[in-house]
Amino acid sequence: MSDTAIKIINLHKKYEDGIYAVQGIDLLIKKGEFYGLLGPNGAGKSTTINAITSLVKPTKGSITVFNKDIVSDFRYTRSKIGIAPQEISNDWFFSVEQLLYFQAGFYGIERKNAKERIEYILHKVGLYDHKDKKMRQLSGGMKRRLQIARALVTDPEILILDEPTAGVDVALRHDLWDFLQQLHKGGKTILLTTHYIDEAELLCERVGIINHGKLIAEDTVPNLKSSINKSKLEDVFLELTGRTLND
Amino acid sequence: MIRNWVGFYTLSSREILRFFTVWKQTIIPGVVTTLLYIFVFGVALEDRITEIDGISYKMYILPGLLMMNVITNAVANTASSMLQMKLLQTLPELLITPLSSLELSLSFIIGGTVRGFVNGILILLICIMVGMEIRDPVSTVFIIFIVAWSFSSLGLFIGQMSDSWDQLSLIQNFVLTPLSFLGGIFYSVAMLPEWGLAISKVNPVFYTINSLRYATIGVSDAPFSSSMVFIVLFSLLLTTLAVKTMESGKKIRF
Repeated sequence: MSDTAIKIINLHKKYEDGIYAVQGIDLLIKKGEFYGLLGPNGAGKSTTINAITSLVKPTKGSITVFNKDIVSDFRYTRSKIGIAPQEISNDWFFSVEQLLYFQAGFYGIERKNAKERIEYILHKVGLYDHKDKKMRQLSGGMKRRLQIARALVTDPEILILDEPTAGVDVALRHDLWDFLQQLHKGGKTILLTTHYIDEAELLCERVGIINHGKLIAEDTVPNLKSSINKSKLEDVFLELTGRTLND
Repeated sequence: MIRNWVGFYTLSSREILRFFTVWKQTIIPGVVTTLLYIFVFGVALEDRITEIDGISYKMYILPGLLMMNVITNAVANTASSMLQMKLLQTLPELLITPLSSLELSLSFIIGGTVRGFVNGILILLICIMVGMEIRDPVSTVFIIFIVAWSFSSLGLFIGQMSDSWDQLSLIQNFVLTPLSFLGGIFYSVAMLPEWGLAISKVNPVFYTINSLRYATIGVSDAPFSSSMVFIVLFSLLLTTLAVKTMESGKKIRF
C-alpha cells in the first residue's frame, strides 16, 4: 500500500452562492501521520474534509486516498476512511448499538462479524452502559462519543475528526486525547480539525493552517514556532491568520 | 449494479425497521381512514348511489381506497425518511459510506415499497372481510406492489428535492391528493364531461385505480392491458428519475 494516505492537488471549491471556500489547496498526508488542520471559522477546513469524503464536489482539483481516486474508486477510498463530522446527527429511531450495527453494515461488515468490534468500541468510548439508549436520551458529550464510535466501528485506516472535542468536558477531552494517541500509535492516520490549538499542539505531528481557503503554512509544530519565533502554536496561528480564534 | 450487498441489505432493513418501529403512525392510520371511508361513503351513501357498472357502490370504491392508501404510504415513507435524514444531519453520514447511488436509491425505495405494500395488503384483507371477491389475486398483488414501488420512487425524488416539511406537505396536499381523488376513487370517469375525461386520461393514478378495479371486481374505465403497460412504464420512469436524481447529488452533495 502507498505511503501517502491522502493527497489533495489544487483543490478549488466555489459554492452556488459564488463563495470560494477553498482556493487551490495542496495537501499530502502520510500513512500513519497525525495531521492537524487549523483555521478560523469559514476558512475552508470542513469544505476540505467534505471534499475528501465526497460530500462536497470540487470545482477543480483532484483527491486520492492511498493513490486511488475518490470518485472513480469511491468504494475503496470510502472504505478506508472513518469520519466523525462536526455536526452532531440525531437519529430518532434506533439505539446506540443498532446504529453501530447499521454503520458496520453500510461498510459491508456482516452483523456476526461486527459484534466483537462494536462491544470493544462501546467500552473504549464509555458508552457500553448506554448501548440500549436512543440518541435523544444521550447527553451532548455522549453524542459526540457516539460520533467517534461510528467513525471507528469499521476499523478504518484513516480517521477524520472534525472538531471532535467541541462541547466535551475537560475530563472527557483528556480521555479522548489518550484514546486518539493510542489509535495513532496503533498505526492509524488521523486528520484532525480543531479550534483548540493546545489540542493540535499536543497531538499532531504536522499542522496545516488554512485561511481564506488557502493553506498558508504547514510544518511540524516546533518548526512552525521557530519559523516566526513564537513559543506557542496559538501565537503562530494568530500571527499568520491575523485573526482572533473567534473570528 | 449492486456490489455492496451487505450495505444494501442493511440500509433496506433499516428503512423497513424505521417505519415498523412507529407502526402506530405508519400502519394504523391508513386502516382507520379506510374503514371511515367505507362507512361514510360506502355504507351511508349506498342508499343514494346504489351501483356503478353493475357493482354496489361500496364495492366499487374499495379498489380506489386501497390504491390511495398504497400511494400515500409509499410516498410518505421515502419522502419523510429522506427529508428527516437531511434535517437531522444523518444523511451526510450515509452518503460517505461505500454505497453507490443506485444502492442508496433502491434501499430507500424498498423501504417505501414495503410500507405501501403492507398497508395495501391490510386494506385488501378489509375488502375481503366486507365481502369483496378477488377476481385475479396474482394481478391484484402485483399491482399493489408495482404501484407501491412507483410512488416510493416518486417520494424519494420529492424528499431529496424538498428543503422543509412545508414543501413536502405542499406537494402531498396540492398534487398527490388531488391526483388521487381525480383518478376515480369514488366515481367512474365515464360520469365526467369530455374535458374531465381527457384530464383523467393523463392522470397516472387513474390507471393504477382502474387496473386494480379490473383485477379485483372486474370493471374498469380503461382497458386492463393498456393500464398495466402504463403502470409498468410509469414505474420504470419514476425509478430512473429517483436514481438519476440521487446520482446527481442535487441538494444533498454540495
